[in-house]
Amino acid sequence: MSENEKDYAGPVGEGLYSVNTGDWRTQFPNLDQQLCIRCGNCLIYCPTNSVRRVDGRFEIDLSFCKGCAICAEECPKDAITMKKEGKR
Amino acid sequence: MSVVDTLAEREDMISPGISACIGCNVELTLRTVMKVLGPNTILAIPPGCMGGVGVVGWNKRSGSKVPVFFPLLDNTASMLAGIRLAYDAKGRDANVVAFAGDGATVDAGFQALSGVAERGDRIIYICYDNEGYMNTGYQRSSSTSKGSWTSTTPVSKEGRGGKRQNGKDFPMIMAMHDIPYVATASPAYIPDLVRKVEEAMKVKEGLAYIHVYNPCPTGWGIKPEESIMVSRLAVKTRFFPLYEARNRKFRITVPVPKPLPVRDFTSRIKKFSHLNEEEIADLGKLAEERYLFLEGACARSSADA
Amino acid sequence: MNEIAVMNGNFAAATAARLARPEVIAAYPITPQTPVVEYLTQFAAEGTLDSQMTEVESEHSAMSILSGASMAGARCYTATSSQGLALMYEPYFRASTLRLPIVMNIVNREMISPQSVWGGPQDSLTLRDAGWIQIYVEDNQEILDTTIQAFRIAEDPRVLLPVNVCYDGFYLSHMTERVELPTQKQVDGFLPPYEAKHQILDPRKPMAIDPLTNGYLVMEYRKKHMAAQAAALGVLAEVDRDYTALTGRSWKGAIDEYRMDDAEYAVVTLGSVTGACREMVDAKRAAGVRMGLVKIRCLRPFPRAAIAAALSKVKGFGVIDRNVSFGWNHGIIYQEVKAALYGSGCSLPSISFIGGLGGEDLTLDLVSQAFDAIVASVDAGKTVDEAVWLWSPRKGVK
Repeated sequence: MSENEKDYAGPVGEGLYSVNTGDWRTQFPNLDQQLCIRCGNCLIYCPTNSVRRVDGRFEIDLSFCKGCAICAEECPKDAITMKKEGKR
Repeated sequence: MSVVDTLAEREDMISPGISACIGCNVELTLRTVMKVLGPNTILAIPPGCMGGVGVVGWNKRSGSKVPVFFPLLDNTASMLAGIRLAYDAKGRDANVVAFAGDGATVDAGFQALSGVAERGDRIIYICYDNEGYMNTGYQRSSSTSKGSWTSTTPVSKEGRGGKRQNGKDFPMIMAMHDIPYVATASPAYIPDLVRKVEEAMKVKEGLAYIHVYNPCPTGWGIKPEESIMVSRLAVKTRFFPLYEARNRKFRITVPVPKPLPVRDFTSRIKKFSHLNEEEIADLGKLAEERYLFLEGACARSSADA
Repeated sequence: MNEIAVMNGNFAAATAARLARPEVIAAYPITPQTPVVEYLTQFAAEGTLDSQMTEVESEHSAMSILSGASMAGARCYTATSSQGLALMYEPYFRASTLRLPIVMNIVNREMISPQSVWGGPQDSLTLRDAGWIQIYVEDNQEILDTTIQAFRIAEDPRVLLPVNVCYDGFYLSHMTERVELPTQKQVDGFLPPYEAKHQILDPRKPMAIDPLTNGYLVMEYRKKHMAAQAAALGVLAEVDRDYTALTGRSWKGAIDEYRMDDAEYAVVTLGSVTGACREMVDAKRAAGVRMGLVKIRCLRPFPRAAIAAALSKVKGFGVIDRNVSFGWNHGIIYQEVKAALYGSGCSLPSISFIGGLGGEDLTLDLVSQAFDAIVASVDAGKTVDEAVWLWSPRKGVK
C-alpha cells in the first residue's frame, strides 16, 4: 500500500487514472493556421479533447492525441493534414 | 455562448487518457455531454465500452473527475433511481446520469429502465447505441440492425448470415412511456446533442432519455477518420432520425427532406458488405417507414398544440 | 411502561422499520411478505413514516435501488421472500461486497419447485455464503427487537455489512402475538442517524466506487470483509447488551441455550420451530430425560466457539432442519454444526432431522419423535448416517 492510500473497507478509487494514449498514434495532425477559419469543428469533433482554443486560435495538444484523423476529415478548409509519426 | 464556446471553455470531466478505440465517437459523446452536465453530477457507467476503457477507473484510481460507479449490466436505471431518492431524502440535488451502451439498455437493463420511466424517477439516461456488445467482441444486441455481421450472427464465406431481425426502435419505445423528455442524437450533430443535454437537465418531473447513435469503427468496420462522416450519413439517409418528444408530443430537430439513398451509409460499413441489393433496399424501406411514422406523430403533435 | 400491542410478524417487522427511520425504502410484494409493504405504505399515508418510499417493478430493482441509495449515504430497508430473494441475488451478493449496511427482513418461504408459497428458511439459508449477516428469530417480539438492532449492527464502523433478519413465513408473519413496543424516542437514542464514512457518491467528494479491480486487490477486500464478519459477533453481543439496558429484553446474542447446563442430550434449532422444541424440552424433562436446546440466532457469522462450548456439555445431539442440503443429503444447519465441532475435541453422536418443508407442520408429536430418536442414538453411541425425515408420509411412500 502506498503512503497516501486510504484504507477503505470496500472498493474505492480516488485520484485520476489515465493511459498515455499519445503513445498509440502512428500519425499526427498538423494544423495550418493560414488556412484555418476558426470554425471550431476540430475542437467539437475531437474524441480525446486534444484541441485547445487559446486567444481565439485553435491549437492541437498532442499529449493524448491518438491520431484518428477525424479533425483532418471534418475540417472544411483542409487546414489539417496528417503526418507520419516517427523519429522526429 | 456558442456551442464552440461551451466546449472550448468548459472542463473535460473525464480522464484525458482512456483506452477507447482510435476514432471512437462514443468517447467524443461522453466528453461532450460531461462538459455540459458539469461537476455537480453523479455518473453511472455499466459494464461495456466506457467501463472497459477505464472511465470508472482501475484498482485504487478513478477515471472521472465526478463521482462515478459501475452499476450491474442490468440495473443502471434502478441504481440511479436509488441515488435520486437518497438525495431527495437529504434535501440535496445533483445531476444523476447514466451513460450506458445499448446492451445494458435495450437488453438486460430494459426492465429497470421501463420501471424508472413509469415511476417518474428523475434521472438522465443517455444510451450510446453502437448496435452491439462491442467491448466484449461485437456480439449482437436487440438494437443491432438487420443483416449486420456480429460475432454471434456471423456471415459465411458465401455471404449468407447476419442478424435475422430488425433492431428495436428503442427511442420510440421510450417515447411511448410518455416520459417528460425523449431525444435521439448523433455525434455528427454536436450542437443538437448539446442542446438536448441542456433540455434533459431542465426536466424536473421524471425521466429524461437520450438515445445517441454511435457507428463503431472497430466493431462495424469503418475507417476511424470517417467515424463522424458515417454518423452523419446515418442521419442524412433517415436511417437514424434526430427528434425529441415531450410527453408524446414529437418534433424532428434535424429535418431530412431529401434523404440520401441508404446505400450511401451502408457502403462505408464492412458489417453490411455481404448484403445484396434487396437486403439493402429493405433496410432503406424500414428507415422510410419509421421516418413516416415519426412525421405522422409530429403532425399530430402540432395539430394538438 | 411501554405500549403493549398485538400484531402479526409482518406488522412487527414494518413497525421496527418505521421506528428505525430509514431514508429510503424500496420493496416488491411477494407472499408471505406482502403485508410488510402494505403496512409501510399505510404508515406513509398516515404520516408516521417519513421515508422516500418507492414501489418497484421487481425485487432485482428493489435491491438495486437500495444499493444506489446506500452508496449515496442513505439508511435503507426492504423485505422479501424466496423467489424474490432469488431474483435479487445479483445485487444481493454485491450489497455485502460493496459494504452497504442495508437491513432486509426475509420472510422465509420455501423455494419453488414444487409450487409452494409456504414457510421455511431454504431461501435465505441457500444464500448464506453471499456475505450478509443473517439472524434467525423465533417470535414476533424478537422480529421487532432484532430488526431495530440490525441497523445498529450493520452501520457499526467495525462491521459495515448488510443484515438479514429472517422469520418463518406464515408461522410468524401471519400469526398474531403480544409485542411490546419501544418508543420512537428510545429507538432514536439507540439508533443515531447513519453517516457513511467509508464511501460516498457525492460531487463534493468525488470518488469512483467499484473500479475495475485486479486479483491482488480482490483478495485484500475479501479479507477485510471476512474480518468484518468476525467482528460482527462481538458487535452483536454489545448491541444486545445496549438493547437490554433500553428495554429489559435480551435475546442472548448469537445463540440461546435453554436448560443446557445439566443436559445430557441437546436439540439444535433455527427459527420458529424453536417454540415447539422448548415445550417438548420441558415435557421430556418432566418425564426425567435431561434434554436441552440450543437455538442458533446468528447464522452468519457462524458462532463456532459458542456452539462448540454449548454442545460440549452433552453426550449427543440432533439438529432439526426445516431445509435440505442437496448433495450432503442432510440439513444445512446439521452440516454447519458438525463443521463447528470439528477440531474442538468434540466427537459426539448426532442425527440430522429434516422436516416441515413446504410449510408442513412440525407438530409436537413429530418433535417428540425426534427427541426420542436423539436419546436412543446417543445412548447407543451412534451417529445416524442418513437424515431422519420427520413427517407422516402418504401410504405407500417411503
